[in-house]
This record gives sequence, structure tokens and C-alpha cells, in this order.
Amino acid sequence: MADDLFIEMEAAQYTKTGQGACGDDVRFMTVEKENRHLVALSDGLGSGVKANVLATMTTSMAIKFLESNVPMLEAVEIIMDSLPICEVRKIGYATFSLFDFRLGGKARISEMGNPGYIHLRGTEEIAPLKDEQIASSHWPDREVRECEADFRAGDRIIMCSDGVTQSGLGVRKDMKFGWRRSGVLKFAQEKIAADPDISARDLSAAIAREALFLTPGGCKDDISCVVCYLRRPRVMRVLTGPPFYKDHDADYARKATLGFDHVVICGGTTANIMERELGVKVKVKLSDMKSSGGLPPVGTMEGVGIATEGILTLGRVLSALEQMRPPEREPAAARAILERMMRHDRIEFVIGTKVNESHQDPNIPQDLELRRSVVKRMCAALEKNYRKKVTVDYY
Amino acid sequence: MDKIKVEVCCGTACYLLGAANLMSLEDMLPENCRGRVEVEAKTCLELCEKENLGGAPYVRFNDTEIMAQATPEKVLARISELVEGVA
Repeated sequence: MADDLFIEMEAAQYTKTGQGACGDDVRFMTVEKENRHLVALSDGLGSGVKANVLATMTTSMAIKFLESNVPMLEAVEIIMDSLPICEVRKIGYATFSLFDFRLGGKARISEMGNPGYIHLRGTEEIAPLKDEQIASSHWPDREVRECEADFRAGDRIIMCSDGVTQSGLGVRKDMKFGWRRSGVLKFAQEKIAADPDISARDLSAAIAREALFLTPGGCKDDISCVVCYLRRPRVMRVLTGPPFYKDHDADYARKATLGFDHVVICGGTTANIMERELGVKVKVKLSDMKSSGGLPPVGTMEGVGIATEGILTLGRVLSALEQMRPPEREPAAARAILERMMRHDRIEFVIGTKVNESHQDPNIPQDLELRRSVVKRMCAALEKNYRKKVTVDYY
Repeated sequence: MDKIKVEVCCGTACYLLGAANLMSLEDMLPENCRGRVEVEAKTCLELCEKENLGGAPYVRFNDTEIMAQATPEKVLARISELVEGVA
């Protein structure tokens, strides 16, 4: 059962207006061999670079300690002892929220100084199974909250920095104390009621955006929201390249029958095979032709999926994934693929291995990478930078 | 009167060797050709892998006539001829 589940962990952030660096930091880690998923969110004291250093040090150390199962109190004391002391405030300080979940088991949440996490099952708030405050003898004013939660399929856990819960504070008369945890909870419940399958990516983005919206005139504090969502994986398939043996075309084309929103066909010859085998034509809108932004335009195959050019488009997608560029700024075809990848959890590549001889033409004015090597690097970037599950099949 | 069908190949080789310049073909049409021509982008016409056709980028007129090494000028000239009824 646990093997069928996927945990989507996403964060959305806004930096305090006028600062070049975000004073909050979020770090994710997956410990494959233990099927374990970790998140650390930290808010550094102050803002800008100084806060960023404190927050980054905290998340880096905390996630390592979590991974190595160091007792939380010991970890906190080491972190506190290590943080540089602020010249102005004479303290070194960063708050944090840590999430530790093993598929098939319970979730552990540890917090210090951050707003309390929210656990939702549908729209219902779920209380922790265990909830303890642990004080440090070393740092008597710092208390760590340790919780254990029954995190089941379909559940979500939301963690925020105080930039979210305190948004609107001092600006809006109807929010004397800001948005508060209760406001975030109500907003998340409304979002889930309206869209029960809302992804962690969309929910975290909506919460962060709302926090920003509640503070007119710019972001008064760094805003960070993390959402962890446990669910069945959303699967998409990318088919690219003609099969090595022509008599495998029909089998290969059947792989494209997964539903329109979940299929991408990359490559002209590949699209032609799909047209022939599935009896559906690729349509390219004229307006898409004109505004394709430096890549061949993106087409649609009704009921099958989107169809793009092959290696140039994949190359562009690869560089965006490796550099973690947001999809919105990419040319249309790359954007369409990237947006689909972001919406899915498991990405299955189905690669035809026949080499396109026309690409070997010395007149072609740029290097064309081999399809297999582009996909290999793409898989690495999807796993490392976006925590996606990836599979590759060859035809 | 049937419209003249112009298919522009958008496969990798064609796109790199000049089809990128043909994406706005519709906007370049002279006044007398507007409304008489249907421009379509094709994912790949699969002509680049055939020998002796003249080389990419390829454009196909009315499902049969192939133009190799197509440029906007050459394509527009051919469209004008077809509109004016010159074979």
C-alpha cells in the first residue's frame, strides 16, 4: 500500500521587499533506502543576508541531524551553539519547523518558535497523537515542541514562517493581530473544499500569495509556506523518438493512451507515428506558430496529449530543470512540458532509440545532443531538484 | 474556390535550417493572397531523411508539391503564382 503512495512536498516563498536574499530557508531531503521524507523550514533572525545565513545554517544542520536520528533536543542545542551572534541583538537565533515522515509510518513534527503546523484530512483539522514541550537546560528560554501525527493518504501538513501568520498586521483594521494561524487554517480549508485534489504546489503558492495580498504596499517580512501532501502519485508519460524496430510502433503508440493531461509527445516523427497508429491528427494553432518564442510550436492531439518538436525542446526543458527556472518564462513548447511535469509526481519516459540521420547533417548550425543523454540528465534533475519519481523505458 | 494549402515542416532539422523564419508566413502574405491561403505547421513532413530532395527546410503546397530550402521569399513567390493560377 505504502508503495502506491507519493508524498508531494512543495514550498512557496516571497522575500521581504527591499531585501536581496530571503531570510527564510526551506530544505527537502528524501532518504531513499528508508523511504523517508524530510523537510526543514527556518526563519532567521532579522532579514536579508544575515537572516538568510542563520536560516540556511539551521536548515542544513537540522535536516542532517534528522537524517542521522540525533535526538531533537541535542540537535537544537548544537544548532543554537553554532549560530553566529547578531551584533545588534546579541543573540543568535533562528526558528524552525521540521517534518519527518516514513511512508507507511507516523509523521514527526518538531517546532521551535515558528507558527504551529496545520494537519488537515480533507477540510478537517487533525490533532497530534502526541504533543510535548521539551526545554533545554542549556538554553532555558528555548522550548521545542515535539509532535507525532497520524499522517494518512489524502492528508496534508502545512508549515509556515511568521511572515504568513503575521501578514496584514498593522495594515488591516480587521486583522489586529494579522492573518494568524486560524486565518491560514480557514483559507486552506476553503481552498481544499473548492478543489479537494489541490496539489501541495498550488496550495502552498495560494497561501503565500494570499499572505502577500493581505499586506498591501510590499512584503513586510519574508513569507514561506510548505505543504506536504500524501496521495496516490499523478503519473505522466513523455514519449520521444521513433522505436528502433518499426514493428514496435503500435506497442509504442499504446503507451500514449493515458489521458490528454498526462501525455507529452516530443518529436516530429514520433508525432507522425502516433497520428498513424492512433488515428488522431496533430493540430497547431496559427497563433501558437507565431508566438512560439524561439522553439517550434506546440500542437495538440485530441484525446491523446500535446505534441512538440523533439530534441531542441527537450534541450530547453533540460536547461530549465537543471537551473530550476520557472516555466512561465520559457518558450511555449518548453513551458507546456514543464508545467505538466510540475503537476505530476511520477514521470515515465518512453524512448524510441532510432537515431534521426537528418540531425547528423553538418549544415545544422548547433550541436544536437543525443536523446538518451538529454533524458538521462533530465531524470537526474527531476529527481534531485523537484523530488519526482522517474522511470525510463526504451523501445 | 479551394484554398491553397501550405504546410511548413517544424521538425528539428527544418526548424534549425530556416523554418523558424516561416512561422509568421501568414502575416507576410500580400493583400491579394489573404484569405486564399491556409498555412499549417506540421510536426514533421519526414522529407529531410530522404535523399535528393534538395535539403531542409521543406514546405509542401496542396499536399503534393514540395519546395526544398524554403525561404519566406521563395514561398511567398510560389503562393502568388498559385493564387494567380500559374502552374
